[in-house]
Amino acid sequence: MSDFENDFSRRLFLKGASATAGAGALSMLPIQAAFAAAFPEQNIQIFVPTRAGGGADRNMRAFTSVWKNYLKTNFEAGFYPGAAGRVGYETYMGKAKADCYNLIFGNMGPEVLNWVVKKPTFDLNRFLYIAQVDQDPGIVFVSKKNKKLKNIDDIVKEGKKRTLNVGVSRLAHPASLGVVALGRHTGAKFNLVPLSGGRNTRAGVATGEMDFGALPSGSVVRKQKQFDIVAVFDKENPLPNRMKKAVVVNDHFGMKLPPLYAGARAFGIKREAIEKHPDRYKVLTDTLQKVYTDPAYKKAVKKTKAPWKYIRYGSPADCEKYVKYITDIGAEYKSLLTGKS
Amino acid sequence: MEIDWGLFAELFGRTFTFWWVILPAILLGLIVGAIPGFSAANTIIILLPLTLAMEPEIGLIFMVALYASSRMGAGIPAILVNIPGTAGAAATPLDGYPMTKQGRAQQALAISFVSSVFGGLLTTILALLAMPWLSQVAYHLHSVEMIVIMLFGISLIATIAAKDTLKGLIAGFFGLMIGYIGADVVYETPRGTFGFLELYDKVPLIPALVGLFAVSEAFAVIEGESILTKRGMEAMQKAGWAETWEGVRLAVSRWWHIIWTSIIGLVIGVVPGAGAAIASFVAYQQSKTFSKTPEKYGTGHLDGLVAPESANNGVTSGTLIPLLVIGVPGGATAAIMAVVLQYHGVTVGPDLFDSQPELAYGAFTAMAVTYAIMILTVLPLARYMSRITVVSTTYMAPIIISFTLVGAFVPRAYVFDMYLALAFGVIGYVARKTGYHVAAILIGVILGPLLENYFLRALRISQGDVMVIFSSNLGDVMWVMLIVSLFVPMYLDRRRKRQAEQAVPTTTDC
Repeated sequence: MSDFENDFSRRLFLKGASATAGAGALSMLPIQAAFAAAFPEQNIQIFVPTRAGGGADRNMRAFTSVWKNYLKTNFEAGFYPGAAGRVGYETYMGKAKADCYNLIFGNMGPEVLNWVVKKPTFDLNRFLYIAQVDQDPGIVFVSKKNKKLKNIDDIVKEGKKRTLNVGVSRLAHPASLGVVALGRHTGAKFNLVPLSGGRNTRAGVATGEMDFGALPSGSVVRKQKQFDIVAVFDKENPLPNRMKKAVVVNDHFGMKLPPLYAGARAFGIKREAIEKHPDRYKVLTDTLQKVYTDPAYKKAVKKTKAPWKYIRYGSPADCEKYVKYITDIGAEYKSLLTGKS
Repeated sequence: MEIDWGLFAELFGRTFTFWWVILPAILLGLIVGAIPGFSAANTIIILLPLTLAMEPEIGLIFMVALYASSRMGAGIPAILVNIPGTAGAAATPLDGYPMTKQGRAQQALAISFVSSVFGGLLTTILALLAMPWLSQVAYHLHSVEMIVIMLFGISLIATIAAKDTLKGLIAGFFGLMIGYIGADVVYETPRGTFGFLELYDKVPLIPALVGLFAVSEAFAVIEGESILTKRGMEAMQKAGWAETWEGVRLAVSRWWHIIWTSIIGLVIGVVPGAGAAIASFVAYQQSKTFSKTPEKYGTGHLDGLVAPESANNGVTSGTLIPLLVIGVPGGATAAIMAVVLQYHGVTVGPDLFDSQPELAYGAFTAMAVTYAIMILTVLPLARYMSRITVVSTTYMAPIIISFTLVGAFVPRAYVFDMYLALAFGVIGYVARKTGYHVAAILIGVILGPLLENYFLRALRISQGDVMVIFSSNLGDVMWVMLIVSLFVPMYLDRRRKRQAEQAVPTTTDC
């Protein structure tokens, strides 16, 4: 780096620091209330039912970085991990005001599946997903260092000889269900080992403690040097260029599994908030739909290395349909998810 | 991976030119490390707009410097007022705080700084040079081996219990029971939460930590006028710069202790999901095991301070290895650093060594340079920092309680956590007054859930076969080492006592 670049960066750094400090100071002034008349007049709080630094965090930040331009306000994220998302949802339903300033950003796949296993304390009818952000299919993946298991046929063949350990994020997860169904169909023996999150699951597979893993594709496709994705639980391989070895499970094994979207992140809200503030709700939904077509959002998603192809708007009706669909699958496999099979 | 000395030299030189980023990051890291509840991880999240405005290389240097200095910062309140800033510093007050009470706070701080810096520096250089080999550690330390490592840490309860076995063990088991509160890792079934949603994700560490150590300490110190003993106060009033230099000398004279305990930290840091808390307890336990004066641990033993501080700084560079070599972060801060870099369009993983070596290797050179700069900036502050110990408890106790309650609130923003800290404070106070060791409770709270996690995972892998814990050759060797490290000191201790008993009558005869 030349001296000029170095100086330039130093200036940039100081500028950035001053801007951050300045913005902080300005936000404390009472002028905001005087000028803002319409919704939103204050920052919007996002409850995230997982830890900071994970896929939901990345996804939410990319979306809100553009959405804030349409809403002319900032977003503040609070992370409430624990008990497969239950802590986040229960906290949101219990503590967040029904004023449209409080939203939740969850993953409809595993989190709804968890409600099938353990009913939440709140009435599910009091809650609604208002916009799906992405649709990410469940996949099966192996470590590139694994010399025995190179593709899905190797996995099934080996699974017929011995029980294979499968690293999964949680038991109640669409990708986990896919593996169980595959085992049932082929006669291969798979032992699901929940490792609490995508990061730990990748670690379990990378270090060889697990024979293979099953996760949403987005959290593995970015790590092509370490892992091979060998099967996908969808109607087709959505990323043939990035998941070259992945076969479509239904086509390959003659199965009739419905698509198992392991990642289906969405914004949710209390119904009461919509009923009390329909005008605010309209502002929220109108503006968020604009994000999907904004080139800045595409840029933000690409920065996170998540596949743009997975970004898919889902209306409240689409979300409701998906929740019903995943609830039905969960009910079918409930015994497996609770260990009572 | 070949070692390119030219590149390393260039990177070191270049990293020094970013002193203007490193210095504020060090200052910030020391502050957030010293405040319980704040950590490098949540500070990086808060400062996301700032780091995103920087170039990737500068952002990385800033984050690494913040990370390394926060680790050192966590030891400062642990030594001065018995408040570990993070779980990684939980073993530091065991001997650091007794030194403070004796009026040797300045010495203790200097020892902590030197151990942290040299431990961190050494392991960073080792990590840089031995990365391909060290990354293999993660391939061998699986659940079974981690169970044994946890037991090394937990066995500290037994050594603490040596003075009063029943009370020590009760305290340890009580801590373990608290540690098992929350949802289990397999079926996510809540246990022992008493219906509190806030306990579903386990008992949060920071409120437990600050409650057991700091709040109970505040309750205890208010009974006297000062946290220092009478002699301690006299010593503090006389203390000058010589005390700092004496601390430096004492730490340097323990160079071998710094080396091996920091390597324990490095190796544990390499294992994804392990961490500084485990490393510091294991290092402390090992230090005591091999000490010639184990009975002095807990009373201000210098090695008892050197070991955890070297080890938890050894972890810092260790956590970056799995992130860079296998693309899996070794800890929460490393994971968040990876996310920030991703926003810059940089995917952290093995490709980085080819595509942007200045970032891959730069993470380690930044850490090394941070440690080098840090010792020069922080050491002169030891004298001034130590003055806090002469403040009257009339002011000290409320300040400790207010700070720690804020600290308890910060990580999860639950008011519940402030009440939890107070509840743990009461438990800690009662434990102190009745002779139950607070550290034994805390070891159970910190290491219990981790032990359970690895144990349940191992059981799940073996489909319920308990004998899985003896299924690995490396694990079996570690079991033997664990048994040896538990029973040899007991045998040596008995032999010493026997010899002493035999020596007494001989002297009388004379």
